Amino acid sequence: MDVKNVVQQWQNMATSVEEVDYSVSGYDYSVCLEGEKLSAFAGLMLNEGFYLVDLMAVHVEPAIEVVYQFAHFKTRCRVMARAFVDGKGEIPTISDIYQGANWHERETRDFHGVVFTGHPNLEPLILAEEDVDLKPLLKDEKKLKGVAAVRRVQPEPEAAKPEAVKSPEQS
Amino acid sequence: MNVDVLEDERHHRFVLNMGPQHPSTHGVLRVLLELEGEYAMSLQPVLGYGHRCHEKIAEYKPAKSFMPNTARMDYLGALIYNHGYAQLLEKATGIEAPQRAEYIRVITSELNRIQSHLLWYGAYLLDLGAFTPIMYSFDDREHILDILEDVTGSRLTYCYYRVGGVCRDIDDKFIAGTRQFIDRLRSRFPMYEDLVNGNVILQNRLNGIGDLTPQTCARYGVTGPLLRGTGVAYDMRRAEPYSVYPEFDFEIPTETKGDCMASFLVRFREMEQSLRIIEQALDRLPEGPIMAAKVPKKLKIPAGDYNSSVEAPRGELSYYLVADGSDTPYRLKVRTPSYSNLSVVSEQCAGMLLSDVVSAMGSLDLVIPEIDR
Repeated sequence: MDVKNVVQQWQNMATSVEEVDYSVSGYDYSVCLEGEKLSAFAGLMLNEGFYLVDLMAVHVEPAIEVVYQFAHFKTRCRVMARAFVDGKGEIPTISDIYQGANWHERETRDFHGVVFTGHPNLEPLILAEEDVDLKPLLKDEKKLKGVAAVRRVQPEPEAAKPEAVKSPEQS
Repeated sequence: MNVDVLEDERHHRFVLNMGPQHPSTHGVLRVLLELEGEYAMSLQPVLGYGHRCHEKIAEYKPAKSFMPNTARMDYLGALIYNHGYAQLLEKATGIEAPQRAEYIRVITSELNRIQSHLLWYGAYLLDLGAFTPIMYSFDDREHILDILEDVTGSRLTYCYYRVGGVCRDIDDKFIAGTRQFIDRLRSRFPMYEDLVNGNVILQNRLNGIGDLTPQTCARYGVTGPLLRGTGVAYDMRRAEPYSVYPEFDFEIPTETKGDCMASFLVRFREMEQSLRIIEQALDRLPEGPIMAAKVPKKLKIPAGDYNSSVEAPRGELSYYLVADGSDTPYRLKVRTPSYSNLSVVSEQCAGMLLSDVVSAMGSLDLVIPEIDR
């Protein structure tokens, strides 16, 4: 897998692609997507040999954010892809591409009430059938925060430094 | 046992409810099997009987005090779950554990891994109808529990690691006991080989059952010994090296066939590699403190998201933390290996003989509490 080439392809379909400091965050790339691009993105990831590590939701303002974690068997390249659910709380499924997403999506439906359109069987998985409307991981108003509050604050760029050339470790 | 006869032309097909209390599911897992004679035509796991809302609990207490909960997810790999979580918070807050603490973590984690594999070894063979091996593997496993009990204070659900180190130093008794155990287990391996691994019944029960390919593993997120049984040498200790693992010389055992026998052999050989790691770590164990000098009582986690992945006995364990700048996680997601590994069975076992389903599910080495969380 050629990482540069893959990053290029992400940039074509994503709203933003950001390289992240692995030593602090524990992953390499953060990719923000529109919901409708998810299928194409998942197809690309499978073609490039990525496996689906995890799928989860984070309840923030203005909408629930669904986070897809991918990693690669051969090269260290851990990716967090993010997409917001639409106004109706829906987002397309990727379980037709990554079958492992089937259970993760059912679990996310249980905990956050996210509806994955096109999912073959969106029945409760972890919770009991009578708790289908419980959505236990949704935040109440007091605890709910805006998406900016849970994003990393970039440290001030050290503009005062005289040398503009990057050291090899940084590049 | 509920047997429900279908009233249609497929009247010879019936639904068998295996579990939630069934000895071969090792916990409260329920599997709905649709049988045609002795063949399982479809297989649907039903989860959630052991759900304890760990992720919800995490959002309600300071991040540091979630450590005991991690041990209760996978009761066989508790120290490794501790390790992943301690590392997550250390990454997020920039605290560094001293070298001696990292060495102690590696030694105790690897002991924990061997302990998990030994239990799997006995229980798996028990599932397959061989009663004797569990007596031997439990005997060996008891030694590890005794060693770990002395230093951690518990036998199963350890809470031994802290943010910035470990809570108690190891002593000469621990070191001597561990060295003794290494020699003991090494001397037992040939016995296991003779007693079990070469057995023709075992060969027939495991060879060619439950084929997995690297592509299937990627689609389902299957990791750990199952993946290594398909020929992919993917182990977090090498792929994304953490702690002091890069300093040790060890191999990642792999097989190529992807069947139950392959993951069986991978797990068996992993025990020897863990022994090698422990041996090297004991030889080079540095002197020094076991806790970082300054760990604030109230641990503020800077806003952002953090991920920490470690190699648990069953595969990749990932903690994903979303922090809002306070000392309590805004969201904590635990990616447990058995969850993804189990999701593959519907595809893997369709059309199998019922007795082979037991072989295939046993080779997943399931720990149900980590699936349900």
